[in-house]
Amino acid sequence: MKMRINPLTIKKINRFKSIRRGYYSFILFSIMILLSIFAEVMVNKRALIVKYEGSIYFPIYRSMIPGTTFGFDYEYETNYRDLKKKMQEQKNGNWLLMPPIPYDPFENDLREGEYPPYPPDITTQHYLGTDTIGRDLTARLVYGFRICIFFSLILLVLTYMIGVAIGCIMGYYGGKFDLIFQRVIEIWTNVPFLYVIIIISSIIVPSFWILILIMTFFGWISMTWTMRTITYKEKEREYTLAAKAMGAGDMRIIFRHILPNTVSVIVSYIPFAISSGIMVLTSLDYLGFGLPPPTPSWGELLNQGWENMHAWWIVASVIVAMLVTLTCVTFIGEAIREAFDPKRHTIYE
Amino acid sequence: MKQTLKLKWFGIIFLSFLIFLPLCSANPSLPDNIKWLTNDTDPVYASENAQKGGTLRLSLLSFPMTFRTVGPDSNSSFRGYILNNQLSLTDIHPNTLNVIPGLATHWAFGDDKKTMYFKLNKNAQWSDGKDITASDFAYTLEFMRSKHIIAPWYNDYYTKEIEKVIIYDEDTLAVVSTKAVPDLHLKLSIQPTPSHFYKNLGKGFVRKYNWKIVPNTGPYQIGKFKKGKKIEFKRKKEWWGKDLRYFKNRFNVDKVLFKVVKDFNIQWEHFKKAKIDTFAVNLPKFWHEKCKTPVVDKGYVEKIWFFNDKERSANGMWLNEDKKIFADKNLRYAFAHAMNIEKVINLVLRNDYYRLEQHYVGYGKYSNDSIKARRFDIEKVDKYMKASGWQRGSDGIWTKGDLRFSVNVNYSFQEHTQRLVVLKEEAKKAGIELNLLKLDPAASFKKVLEKKHDVAWSAWSTALRPQFWEHYHSANAHKVQTNNITNTDDPELDKMIDMYRNSLDEKERIDLALKIQEKIYEIGSFVPTFMVPYIRQACWRWMRLPEIPGTRRSDGLFDPFDSSYGGLFWFDKTIYDETKKAMKTGRTFTPVTIINETYKMKTIR
Repeated sequence: MKMRINPLTIKKINRFKSIRRGYYSFILFSIMILLSIFAEVMVNKRALIVKYEGSIYFPIYRSMIPGTTFGFDYEYETNYRDLKKKMQEQKNGNWLLMPPIPYDPFENDLREGEYPPYPPDITTQHYLGTDTIGRDLTARLVYGFRICIFFSLILLVLTYMIGVAIGCIMGYYGGKFDLIFQRVIEIWTNVPFLYVIIIISSIIVPSFWILILIMTFFGWISMTWTMRTITYKEKEREYTLAAKAMGAGDMRIIFRHILPNTVSVIVSYIPFAISSGIMVLTSLDYLGFGLPPPTPSWGELLNQGWENMHAWWIVASVIVAMLVTLTCVTFIGEAIREAFDPKRHTIYE
Repeated sequence: MKQTLKLKWFGIIFLSFLIFLPLCSANPSLPDNIKWLTNDTDPVYASENAQKGGTLRLSLLSFPMTFRTVGPDSNSSFRGYILNNQLSLTDIHPNTLNVIPGLATHWAFGDDKKTMYFKLNKNAQWSDGKDITASDFAYTLEFMRSKHIIAPWYNDYYTKEIEKVIIYDEDTLAVVSTKAVPDLHLKLSIQPTPSHFYKNLGKGFVRKYNWKIVPNTGPYQIGKFKKGKKIEFKRKKEWWGKDLRYFKNRFNVDKVLFKVVKDFNIQWEHFKKAKIDTFAVNLPKFWHEKCKTPVVDKGYVEKIWFFNDKERSANGMWLNEDKKIFADKNLRYAFAHAMNIEKVINLVLRNDYYRLEQHYVGYGKYSNDSIKARRFDIEKVDKYMKASGWQRGSDGIWTKGDLRFSVNVNYSFQEHTQRLVVLKEEAKKAGIELNLLKLDPAASFKKVLEKKHDVAWSAWSTALRPQFWEHYHSANAHKVQTNNITNTDDPELDKMIDMYRNSLDEKERIDLALKIQEKIYEIGSFVPTFMVPYIRQACWRWMRLPEIPGTRRSDGLFDPFDSSYGGLFWFDKTIYDETKKAMKTGRTFTPVTIINETYKMKTIR
């Protein structure tokens, strides 16, 4: 079956592509996400490939290989950087390939007589330096980005599902349901949700999913108002009446007719929701109420940077990383809004 | 009729007898075999060079909510400054730990092991000029037992622990404990309360005395104060105690000024601007990094590192024996051997901290110094784990059946994250997974007291003698809200602890204390971590200290009031003028860092 794309949609996509700033930001952002999914291959303390005594190992996507396998005298995970040094000294045909950044975000690379944070240094391959406990900054940034972006995407999907559904139902059915939910939402909006999260996470330590759950609990409201208004409007349009006259059920009307016509509005809100998701997680981590340590996180790095201003590389790299990400998202958002501008495509009779 | 009259007369006589009987016996006499003790032979620790005059300027993080020392909101750190100016009957020599005179010049122990007799110093006076008499101590009991002061803990303590005060004459009294206890002087050396000041306690006590300045007995009294901003203590020029052996050459500055500066980092800025005279720089970050600042480099500010020798708080990891994993002794040992505390000390804490070897370090003869904490050793971990039939799983973590050696560690301070992540990475090598749970201090404490933790990363404060019962007796195990957070439950240990608690013989108690500590080590439910056996201070060079800047038990070198070790410093006007001039002209001095190890603990030398 060939995928049919609505000519209107094609038009919108072309329009989006023509807005250069947004389009390139979109490409850059997609690449960042795609790369972050495979972060293990680029930023890792485990080697990509090891050839040892005739056999080949791929240590990354598998359980750990104890040091004894490679002739060390310990049973815990092999230190591949040491192994590399050892192989270079022995020169007996064994070799291994390390990822470009040979550290993972949890290990402390501490040295005698010197105290972290260590400044950026090419010889030790800490390209952005280390944080206050000697963990590689690049690794923390990359893995922090991955957690942050997926947190924000999952949050987005959940809040929008709930928000859009409730908003639609409110607008479509109206009446008592609408009235009651309006009041519920008004009350809900007045709950200072950041404080609630802070209180909750000082009592229990939130995991990734608990944090998402709590935030969804308070985050779904924002979409309902908009959806309610649009549905109200679309409900009165001729095509809806026509569908109704032909005997279509409520569900069919909502899902087949009304929702597709509101997509452009929903889509234009998405980038801003993503950036706010990133901001909320970062600020919670900054305050120490977010994901539990030692989870790599931008907020925690920001906090470290603030407390150790003399270690400029910490604060500088986090701020640059945040700046790039948030600017990208904002540019994409602007471009989408422009491309999907209803004034350009909808013709009112 | 006559009969009733007769009865009436009889009744009156009987009643008056009842009333007069206690009055007749109101002047009890001292026991005959009483042996008065005093102490005028222990070494003095203040400096002959001390000069009187000048001001010490310090800072407070917040203004106290009241000047009362009992009742609601009174339990702030500022209360210590007020209470330190209210002397007790006797004190403790901060170097020899012997009893030394306070308000009493002589004391004696009763044969019943629960009474102590005191002879008051005849010159001792309240700050308002009234004499201190034995009845002021009797009034302490009345005051502390009063419902009007709204202090249930004190109500309870002075009822259940102190039985009575007996007045023999104006200057002689006895204080009686409800039960015989060892080290009686620590308990019975109470403070007087000015009955002439309070007169009748009433319902309005809490509000009425919020900002009243109560007459005191110590060297300083609160002078001017501005709520929310500053408080000034003034030295009593004609203080009754100023020439006594252990008070001479102490309490030298004329004024002690506390300014409210609400942020620690801003206090540091004030200090650098010479608006505050001294600053505690115990934290490695302050000592090593923040002190690299012009005022220190130019020698205007001096650094002092002073080792003291006193009880160390029990910092460490408390393993909950009620959890399946830690019920096995081998696993507790393995856990202890998997904690690389030495690496944290060397590489994170700049070798500034020391390894705490066991729960009771620094208790003098009561400490068992032969106990050494279990060191990081993967081979020993392997040995213990294999002995209990565990194996390493595919991720390197030990497993047995559906159990996995993965435990939660509760903690509550952001600064400790650094230390814990290093421990976590090292423990992984040994096959143990630590999950770090940072909770708000109150929430964390609650969870631990409810015994819901696997491992609690926390500390207990200290007392002059080791307290075993609350931490290790089975009477406190498997119950919520008790201090036995390891749920240690060992019949043999119980027996020794009971004996220790009931013994009044010092030698036997010391003997038992050492054995109990060995047993606790053998049980292995506490993994000791760090101790900080010193104080580090920065001060402007015009604040001078004796040659040995502190005492064995000093908690700070610039404590202005503490009756036992406070007020050893003085203000040197000539150095002040010289420094101020030098700062204007740009002249510099050689930077000074004093390291004094006179009282450094033997075990860490």
